[in-house]
Amino acid sequence: MSLALPAGPASRRRASASYRWMVAPALIFAAGMIVLPFLWAMWLSLHETMLGGEPRFAGLDNYRRLVADREFWNGFRLTMLLWLLSLALQLVAGTWLGLLLARLDAARGLIRTALISPFMLPPVVIGMMAIVILDPGLGVANWLLAQLGLGGLLFLADPETVILTVALIDTWQWTPFVALIVLGGYLSLPRDVFEAAEIDGAGSFQRLTRITLPLLAPTLVTAAVLRSVDLLRFFDVIYITTQGGPGNASTTLNILAYRRGFEFFEFGYAAALMVTLSAIVFGCVLAFSRLRRAVAW
Amino acid sequence: MMNRRTFAAAAAGLLATPALAQQFNWRQQDGRTVTLLLNNHPWSQAMREMANDFTAATGIRTRIEIFNEEQFRARLTTLMQGRSPEVDVFMSLPSREGAVFKRAGWYTDLAPMIADARLTAPDFNYDDFGAGMRQQATLDGLVATLPINQEGPLFYWRKDIFARCNIPEPRFLEDIPEAAARLRACDAAQGVWAARGLRGAVNYGMSGFVFNMGGSYATADGKPGLCQPATIRGIEMYANLLKDFGPAGALNHTFTQVIELLGQGRIAMTHESSNEFANIVRFPGRAQDLGVKVLPPGRESGISRPLVIGWGLAVSAHSRQKEAAWMFLQWATSNAVQTRLVQNGVAPPRASVFQGPAFNAWANELPIRRAWAEALVEIGRTGTGVYQSPTDRVPEARDIIGNAMQQIVLGRASARDAVCAADPDLARLQ
Repeated sequence: MSLALPAGPASRRRASASYRWMVAPALIFAAGMIVLPFLWAMWLSLHETMLGGEPRFAGLDNYRRLVADREFWNGFRLTMLLWLLSLALQLVAGTWLGLLLARLDAARGLIRTALISPFMLPPVVIGMMAIVILDPGLGVANWLLAQLGLGGLLFLADPETVILTVALIDTWQWTPFVALIVLGGYLSLPRDVFEAAEIDGAGSFQRLTRITLPLLAPTLVTAAVLRSVDLLRFFDVIYITTQGGPGNASTTLNILAYRRGFEFFEFGYAAALMVTLSAIVFGCVLAFSRLRRAVAW
Repeated sequence: MMNRRTFAAAAAGLLATPALAQQFNWRQQDGRTVTLLLNNHPWSQAMREMANDFTAATGIRTRIEIFNEEQFRARLTTLMQGRSPEVDVFMSLPSREGAVFKRAGWYTDLAPMIADARLTAPDFNYDDFGAGMRQQATLDGLVATLPINQEGPLFYWRKDIFARCNIPEPRFLEDIPEAAARLRACDAAQGVWAARGLRGAVNYGMSGFVFNMGGSYATADGKPGLCQPATIRGIEMYANLLKDFGPAGALNHTFTQVIELLGQGRIAMTHESSNEFANIVRFPGRAQDLGVKVLPPGRESGISRPLVIGWGLAVSAHSRQKEAAWMFLQWATSNAVQTRLVQNGVAPPRASVFQGPAFNAWANELPIRRAWAEALVEIGRTGTGVYQSPTDRVPEARDIIGNAMQQIVLGRASARDAVCAADPDLARLQ
């Protein structure tokens, strides 16, 4: 019987080289499915491309047009508003729900399964449900309000409330996702810190604000990154429920780009909008990465 | 009473006449499979049920994809931009997108196939389609589509509610707001009016108001002309009806919500597609208590200028089996098939079907069917398929006009300000 000796530098280099080859298929796949389409979108954004015409190199014209376009700035404002509103709602509600679940002993599996259901539903189903429930004339939401003696609301049909309504629909769907991340993070925290705090006489509010939330911060940032990427590219439910209306009140950048590309066939301009949105998403992820390092423990 | 089975048998008989069988080989493309990309429409739903008959007659199998209109257009654009041969036949609205699709080279010119005796049945008779329909489907000499229906918005009103409130049937356009106010005064619990409010869908319902008031979307020299007094009055009347008498949330409504409201008896009037007739009269009671006619003319202008459009079937320029696709087109638009489609509320674009005994027998079964058929004859005779300012970029132009109407409903601008502000935006599209 021979003893295995630690590998030397040469064999480590050989092993490392073979690992690189094993990663190659994934890299090729990523290049083919992510990098190439993105480069194509960038190329397209530098061209004026109308349906039926040959692409004409336009330099930065599409980006100049974008900066001067009121609809772009309206879309940018709405995209940011929807992102911040939904993210705040989901982080607060998700954290509360996750911590509540951590204390729950009975039927934990059943409740977790039930919580997964909303985000398993396809967006088109969510959108259609929202139309049926929230239609001011035909929907059940106003019927329920009337039964309670309250006045009806316009929900998705009012320019003043449409973004809030969309944010609430997304919050209903994705809060359980945040809650499950928080639950996982909370259960992995060291118990002795909580026991020590309890022995030292810390109250439940102090334990929450001084221990639980700071220790959960990296988990919350991870949840925020995942939800942010999703929220910034939020499209389907808005398109199904309002198509960007009433007026332009829910025409986020995604809706605007879709309409420019697929309804008005301005592919170059739509690509410029999407490249800009990608830059925003990338910037957001970078900012959260820095934040995550800052809150790491 | 002619039931569905009798109807189908008569139609099948027409297709299987001995002369036709002897002179034309319907099975020349036997064994092929054609893919159809269709918009969700009563015609498409009926075709899904009838496709097996096509396979039985020709040996050609079909793969049918039906999407709601927005998804249908997105998928079509994606496939055609990629020059994909995946789609052989697609639905198209030449009045909306014809110029752009033709410039993109998406249509196969059907004229050579129509003229080819090997490919086209001798009784096909292209001239049987109404002249207006053929004109809409022909783009600078290229026959882009074969018409599969004709449709346009019609005025529907609840005769029983009008009678109960002692309100006469509107004879002029200006009578509609008056009737709306009297209906509200008569029964505050009864919904009065609904129509399309969704930005991109507004023009379809609104243009009759503009034209009948004597307005136009263009000036005499072909420039965008929304900022003309009669045009402003027409748009304002449509917007005010929605604002003052429409249902809550009307700006997100398209035909689906309007039909539901009318069918459920929640509203007393609307201006909605003739195409939805079959869906409306499926609701209990509506076949008896509704009236339907062309939107009344303007009292001052004396003008009645309704809309009439028709969906068509096109053969994709990228299809690798154009002849099999053409077999489907001529079968689906044949006299026999169109006669059967009337049962599904699809108004036939063929004169021989419209004037034929089967259609007349069906229409005479109920007064509302007769009224619907007469309204279709009238819009076919007097209607127009152009309902935006002059441009090839039709969807964008309609979107801008719809947005102006929405601004009035939202109270963000006066009718004049909202409408006149749209003209410069429309001018950019020319």
